[in-house]
Amino acid sequence: MRKGISQVTGALDVFDEPSADAAPVGAIGLIGNAVSSQVAEALRIDGLSTGVLPVLPALAELLPARGLARGSVVVVDRPGLLCLALVAAASAAGAWCGVAGIPDLGVAAAAGLGAEPARLMLVAHPGPGWPQVVTSMLEACEVVVVRPPARPPAQIRRRLEGVLRRGGGVLVAAGEWEGAPVRLRVARRSWAGIGDGYGSLRACRAEVVAEGRGAVTRPRRRWLWLPAPDGTVIPDETGDAGRIDFPAGAAAAGAPTAAVASLRAAR
Amino acid sequence: MRAERTGKPARILAVWCPGWPEEDADGADARTFGHVVTVVEDFCPEVEVLRPGMCVLGARGPARYFGGEDALARKIAEAVAAHGFDCHTGVADGQFAACLAARAARPGRPVSPGDPGAPGAPGAPGVVVPPGGTRQFLAAYPVHVLAAPGLAGQLARLGIRTLGDFAALPARDVAGRFGAEGTAFQRVARGQEPRRLAAGPPRADLSTALEFDPPVHAEPAAFAAKGLAEQMLAGLAACGLSCVRVRVEVTGADGRESARLWRHDGLLSALAVAQRVRWQLDGWPPARAGGDDGPADEAAGGITLLRLVPDQLVPDEGRQLGLWGDDLISGRVERAAVRLQAMLGHESVAHPLLAGGRGPAEQVVLVPFGDIRDTRFPADRPWPARIPPPAPATVYPAPLPARVIDAAGVPVTVTGRAVISAPPDALMAGDSPWLAITAWAGPWPVRERWWDERNATRRARFQLVTEDGTAWLAAIELGRWQIEARYD
Repeated sequence: MRKGISQVTGALDVFDEPSADAAPVGAIGLIGNAVSSQVAEALRIDGLSTGVLPVLPALAELLPARGLARGSVVVVDRPGLLCLALVAAASAAGAWCGVAGIPDLGVAAAAGLGAEPARLMLVAHPGPGWPQVVTSMLEACEVVVVRPPARPPAQIRRRLEGVLRRGGGVLVAAGEWEGAPVRLRVARRSWAGIGDGYGSLRACRAEVVAEGRGAVTRPRRRWLWLPAPDGTVIPDETGDAGRIDFPAGAAAAGAPTAAVASLRAAR
Repeated sequence: MRAERTGKPARILAVWCPGWPEEDADGADARTFGHVVTVVEDFCPEVEVLRPGMCVLGARGPARYFGGEDALARKIAEAVAAHGFDCHTGVADGQFAACLAARAARPGRPVSPGDPGAPGAPGAPGVVVPPGGTRQFLAAYPVHVLAAPGLAGQLARLGIRTLGDFAALPARDVAGRFGAEGTAFQRVARGQEPRRLAAGPPRADLSTALEFDPPVHAEPAAFAAKGLAEQMLAGLAACGLSCVRVRVEVTGADGRESARLWRHDGLLSALAVAQRVRWQLDGWPPARAGGDDGPADEAAGGITLLRLVPDQLVPDEGRQLGLWGDDLISGRVERAAVRLQAMLGHESVAHPLLAGGRGPAEQVVLVPFGDIRDTRFPADRPWPARIPPPAPATVYPAPLPARVIDAAGVPVTVTGRAVISAPPDALMAGDSPWLAITAWAGPWPVRERWWDERNATRRARFQLVTEDGTAWLAAIELGRWQIEARYD
């Protein structure tokens, strides 16, 4: 448990040398504290026994419960970094996380966001019995990520939602899931640090959109660093101005302006 | 079988099939190797499988019966070769030296009993190190042949480069400097057994058995083996013992029996035992006559008794678990994992472990749930030419075939000196449509494992960003592009 805390804060405190004096540092420091206090809070009330599992602070305001409400389904458009970021804080806080049907899951990326690989249970190919696999996983894991087959039948969805309500787990569906209260997707993204034959991928600005029923009738849009140059997920304060303003050091050796220009051209 | 109690080192014959992968690989290799073991078992019933591709047996008794160690080695090699497998044999004092002798054997040379000693001495089908000559045989080998990279590295830095040098050190100094592990390895280097075995058979019967009524097929029996193994290990633990070898005995409804010894380099866990039972049962012939599941056939091919007998007991020195318990899995999670494994197969439920490597696919090892989480390539070592972070969120288990063209529509190539033919302009990943490339970086050439013909790679990696905002990790090898991972 203590390891969980140190990992989260550690991940946030480690910041690349070149950007140590850049603007977002203050924000990251605050967020680091926020995560650790969130985790500490979760620990104080006996593990993860609250009604809401923690998420990374940058994602909290996109979710109606400011976290993963137990017994609910959250839909992500595809099993990418956003999907991993959703479960990272819960995993860091001590939750077990089951993943079914995603053979190409980047475990290293999940670990980079703070998730604990030792608390992952992966079933790459659940086959036609996937609802049974998810049910078994929900008995052991607080969070289960599943890539359901295209348009899962309503009967299966209702049965799994019943299991969720009774057991208090959270299902993250990477794909289609009709009637889910909240659905997240990445609408736009642009990469930093890479140019025309030089540099390397360092960070990504992504516009995340949350749509759904109930408390999220109006879509919420947030620009996030997904991930930031230090590997964390933080809000991007520059907003939707179309201005791509990288922290110093975000673009690797070479001319950052050219990288920006090429990205701007891409938009 | 072995003469430990008389103080004389045991004569061991090792059978090595060079075709098998070095690693403790998947079940398919183990199953095929079962054919070889069956052949060897005709000569001596007590065959120990060290790993797929290598098994050993006590040579003293069979050698007396078959007319000497040379004759025994030749007969075994001929019998195995008759079944279509390439095989080398080695005889020496102790298992470690016998395995090295088998590797030193060269195929296709006449037997030369007069010159069996030195490493690499020719002599098909195998090398026979004379009794008492093992220490001399081992002396020329480098210390790195000991399966202890840490110890070997320390010895090399101390200027002790061969097993002969290591064996010549005073045993007390070795114990003082390297502890129990060092002592065990020095005993190996001196041609002795690594551990003093617990003398005599255990006083209490520590074996566990399970009867099946009605008889069952291989799969349910293999599933039951895990519980049985747990029971056996609990019994051993109560006596402060653990075992490095286990004998699995299976009795069929028609009276057939199958008994095999399995050894593990570390100490056997319950799941490791169950996995070996599964391997052994994979060779169990199914019901006779046709594929019908009629009750008569089921009784004929079924299994009525499964017995696990711990062998080669050693004092349990305990395994230290991490203070914050990475490896501690709550009963709730373990039960769910076992249920899923019963449903989908042991290998299908993975517990990932971060490992070291240059490409993203190498940085994660998927360990079947319950197996010992260990990797040959720890993540905390430097990996020059590693792909810099962030890590990709999607890592394809099998790379996607891809095409990359330049502005003129010509496929992009990279020369041997890592010079790119033209800037890449468009990418087709898998069966997706062509996407314009808006930014790219590379080539990052990497040449890995050039000493290993089968696993050598020589490729140049690129990061590509396409017009839809997706970033890709691409690689070109032998002129073919592939997508290793996707950042999204």
